[in-house]
Amino acid sequence: MITFDHLSKEYNGVYAVNDLNFEIPGGEIFGLLGPNGAGKSTAILMLTGLIEPTAGRCLIDGVEVAKNPIEVKHRIGYMPEDVGFYTNLSASENLDFFARLYGLDTSTRKSRIDELLSMMNLDGVEKLVGGYSKGMRQRLGIAKALLNDPAVIILDEPTANLDPQGVADYRRIIKKMAADGKTVLVSSHILSEVSLVCTSIGVLSQGKLVAEGTWKELTRVLQGEQVKILVETRGSMPEFNHPDLISAEYSNENHEAVITARSDIRDDIADTLREQNVMIRQLTLDRSTLEQAILLYYNTGDK
Amino acid sequence: MKSNGLPVIARKELRDHFRSRKFLLIFGIFLIITTIGMISGAAEYNKELQQYNERQSVADDDEFGMGFGGWGKPSIMSIYLQVSLLIITLGAVLGIAMGFDLISKEKETKSLKILLSHPIYRDEVINGKALGGLLALAIALGITFIITFAILLLSGIVPEGDELLKILVFGGAAFLMILSYFALSLFMSTVANDSGKALVYTLVIFVALTSLPILVNGPVMSIVIGDPPEYPEQMFSSDSVHRGMSVVSSSVSSDGKVEYKEPEPDPVWEEYNRQIKEYLNKRQSISDTITLISPTMNLQPLSYKLLIPDYSRMMSMVFSPVGGDDFEVQETDVFKDIFKNIIALFAFPAAFLGLAYVRFMRMDIR
Repeated sequence: MITFDHLSKEYNGVYAVNDLNFEIPGGEIFGLLGPNGAGKSTAILMLTGLIEPTAGRCLIDGVEVAKNPIEVKHRIGYMPEDVGFYTNLSASENLDFFARLYGLDTSTRKSRIDELLSMMNLDGVEKLVGGYSKGMRQRLGIAKALLNDPAVIILDEPTANLDPQGVADYRRIIKKMAADGKTVLVSSHILSEVSLVCTSIGVLSQGKLVAEGTWKELTRVLQGEQVKILVETRGSMPEFNHPDLISAEYSNENHEAVITARSDIRDDIADTLREQNVMIRQLTLDRSTLEQAILLYYNTGDK
Repeated sequence: MKSNGLPVIARKELRDHFRSRKFLLIFGIFLIITTIGMISGAAEYNKELQQYNERQSVADDDEFGMGFGGWGKPSIMSIYLQVSLLIITLGAVLGIAMGFDLISKEKETKSLKILLSHPIYRDEVINGKALGGLLALAIALGITFIITFAILLLSGIVPEGDELLKILVFGGAAFLMILSYFALSLFMSTVANDSGKALVYTLVIFVALTSLPILVNGPVMSIVIGDPPEYPEQMFSSDSVHRGMSVVSSSVSSDGKVEYKEPEPDPVWEEYNRQIKEYLNKRQSISDTITLISPTMNLQPLSYKLLIPDYSRMMSMVFSPVGGDDFEVQETDVFKDIFKNIIALFAFPAAFLGLAYVRFMRMDIR
């Protein structure tokens, strides 16, 4: 569990993070969204013990970071945005060095490193990390974040340089971690990625948390605005009737539809399809709608 | 909760140094040139020893006993003296090359952030890096000195206890000098944002530390002690011969023999002699003090004092007023003589490592 307790960080009179106060329970994949300079990285740096807060505190599983940094660092796995490794060492040598810092014994180190390299498709890569592509480094970064089998995983822009296979692997791993009861905090500006992986979201703007909740809760802000919903089914879908429905464009022999509504009516659409025994392949908010919602929150922070 | 960061980081750094092409190249050149210098020095020593033994068989002419550049028995130290300049120059380069990118490269490659997110204290990073570098330097110099001893022994030269002690002290001082430049470059590595800048800053300070004592020596002396005392005028009377601090009068007796009278102390000469002695002592003292500000300049006189037999005695003869009857060449304790230099050589790495520590602890990790 991650707790932000009225956490603030000030640089020369300007608050990079201003009174963050929320909790992320165990087993959750929490997405931290925000424009550049919103304070996402500063919040993460305080959480990882790399910088100290000006006011307030942050806790990992009830342990205060500033007071017990070593204990906290044993519990977390962190991958920064620009993941940096020792370019003169191989992947396994890099991981071995970091594993030693966790105090893992030789056999544990070896088995854990082999397992993680295999999981990230980096096993058998003998070259030095200096010769790695950005994507390979990113995969190694994820492996490093999982090295100590942490209770809390903190990932800053984890998919920025990954290829489609890497992204798929990452999603699979992260979901498994959450299913195992671990807390995952993902900071990203890639909205579609956050929408696919995260179970809840926090929106930061100008150092403040301007929104927090599930996607459904967040899109309530769009009440009165037009919401686009993408529907894809295995069989032909029926025509929808809903008071908030504005329009529906069906295509591909009624297997696909773009619904425009005045609110997020996905639950009602799902109920209708279930009643008609139609298998759902996709039922998501259109990216433009998510962006619309998030932008509204960003603007809230501006005011 | 306990952290084991220091030994893990020190071990990695040590291994990194010995895997680094930069370190291996400079150390390799260092080792090759030292080896060549030692081999030729040992051959030269054996030749001089043979010539000395030949002279000894003709006459015992060792009373002057200078042993270096003179007619006395050649000294093993002269072999080390030959390579001392190389050790000073290449050693400084090695120290700088080892330290200038230790922190700046971590900043460039963004590995510092990831390193500090592990269960270690921040000071363990800088201390581990310093310790790893120190151990690498100690091993490199240890290997060098073992090879030099091996060359001596293979050439049939066995140092005596006193010589061995002086060689070891020289080795220790050389280590401290190299460590000083390593610590300086490590400090610059914490100051600069990239390795290029760190190297430039280090080289600027290196040049300043090396040339400053030479540049400021003259002006400082003129300001602090002024000009030397003037040579007394009208020193020679028609019937007296000046012999240092006294005047010897002579007269010719009726039978044509020259008779020398007891020397009469000349107060003018005595005063001049006192003043020039005082002036030269002050001059030496200021020069010694200025030298203390540079690790290289510290090691140079230290190596002369250690490796040239009777160096201090020779220098006191050179800088003393000429020809006094009461002039006594005093025996000097070499280790007492170099004490200040040794202290300064300990102070340099301590100061630079301290600065690197403070700077690193205050560094903004973002």
